[in-house]
Amino acid sequence: MKLNFLVSTVVMLVALLPRYECRAIESQGAVQQDPGPQSDLQQQSLPFLVRLGEEYFIRLGNANSPLSTPNMSPDAPSATISRALQLHLTQRLLQGKVGNISRLVSSYASQLDDSTERGKRSEEPPISLDLTFHLLREVLEMARAEQLAQQAHSNRKMMEIFGK
Amino acid sequence: MSVNFRVQLYCLLLMLSALKGEGRYLQENEVTAEGLFSLLNSEVKRESSTDFIYRRPLRCLDMLSVEGQFIFSADRPQLNCAAYFIAEPGEVISVEFSAVDIDCRRGDFLKVFDGWFLKGEKFPSNEDHPLPLPERYVDYCDTGMPRRVVRSSQNVAMIFFRVHSPESGFTITVRKLINPFPCNIISQTREGSFTMVIPHQRTNCSFSIIYPVEIQIEELSLGRLGSNDAPVKRSVPGCGGTGDFVELLGGNGVDTAKMFPVADICYSLKGPAQLKVGCDNAVMRLVSSGKFINRVTFQYRPLDHHELQKLKGNDVEDFCFIE
Repeated sequence: MKLNFLVSTVVMLVALLPRYECRAIESQGAVQQDPGPQSDLQQQSLPFLVRLGEEYFIRLGNANSPLSTPNMSPDAPSATISRALQLHLTQRLLQGKVGNISRLVSSYASQLDDSTERGKRSEEPPISLDLTFHLLREVLEMARAEQLAQQAHSNRKMMEIFGK
Repeated sequence: MSVNFRVQLYCLLLMLSALKGEGRYLQENEVTAEGLFSLLNSEVKRESSTDFIYRRPLRCLDMLSVEGQFIFSADRPQLNCAAYFIAEPGEVISVEFSAVDIDCRRGDFLKVFDGWFLKGEKFPSNEDHPLPLPERYVDYCDTGMPRRVVRSSQNVAMIFFRVHSPESGFTITVRKLINPFPCNIISQTREGSFTMVIPHQRTNCSFSIIYPVEIQIEELSLGRLGSNDAPVKRSVPGCGGTGDFVELLGGNGVDTAKMFPVADICYSLKGPAQLKVGCDNAVMRLVSSGKFINRVTFQYRPLDHHELQKLKGNDVEDFCFIE
């Protein structure tokens, strides 16, 4: 009796719940496009390396100066830390510098080796954007505020509709 | 009184007291079956969906985190414009072009990029993205492009556009779609938490936070889940860049290939492990061989000014500051 009730409840719920469109994700949502003449794209496009004007570029007295070659520091901070991860971190700070430099060099080398002139042009964006992190965060905050305002508005609309 | 009788009596008393309060409330509100099932009413759904299409003009430099229609109309030549899209970590972005009025032959263009470009660097990096770089661009002016709907591979995307004529313009419709296994994410917020899972895939996934943060790893599960398995003994210190591991990167750009490794962990761990990264960008990157299901759970919070100053004071390095 109880089993019948449970089964019938489940059946009703499945029948009445809204269905969502099932979507097969092949490779983490690959960009949908024809795999056609993308190689011809760069030949047909006009030169696209254009410097952005002062309209967007804001020079700030940024405390985080641009990346410079890191100096090897043989004197690691002494262990005032107790967690194993922090000890491991100290080791990685020393080893990681060397590994990182070689990684940077190898990554740049591989980019140069692999790219033909057409490939080189495809590495660059069509517009050179000198957007700083500060400006990016500002516009992101604005977008978040817009999202919250829009959510509040749609919640209000929902309440009005269902209140009728 | 027997136990059974007491239980039944308590249940009866509970039901009566509930009905005394709630029943009266329900009666006064006159809730009807029609009101209760209004959710299933297709008319109400139609009314709500059409009312809720968000529309606004698109700016030459813009950031969008909402669904809707965005109309760009140039009042003067606009040669260097870009709009960034960002969604929740578990979503991808779909961009649909419509009412496009640009002159491709004159040099106008409208291109969607699968990721973000910032200061000459791209996210996700070349090695972490499933597509080669040329395929990450979709150009409206490409005559071979049959469809006008483009979907991103992660929660961020952007468009570049240029129009010479003041009458030019276009409309884009942005939608967000569910991504059940998110990989390569940029966080919208400066604090939050996330669990990244790579299920039997040979891929590397990054979670990028474009703020100086303290990251706390709650749980890391690498390799087999059996507790009897002995940890892998390595002959070299550290993870050696092979196998399954998680690495924490810090830097002042968005390209993970150009960031500095701050720490890496190649064994499962439970319990909070904290790290402060005073960089413009902190990335949690999970590297997976595809043989196992790997999972990392972490949370992050922004560093305040005092903590940042302390980090800068303690550190001898000239770039971003780690503790």
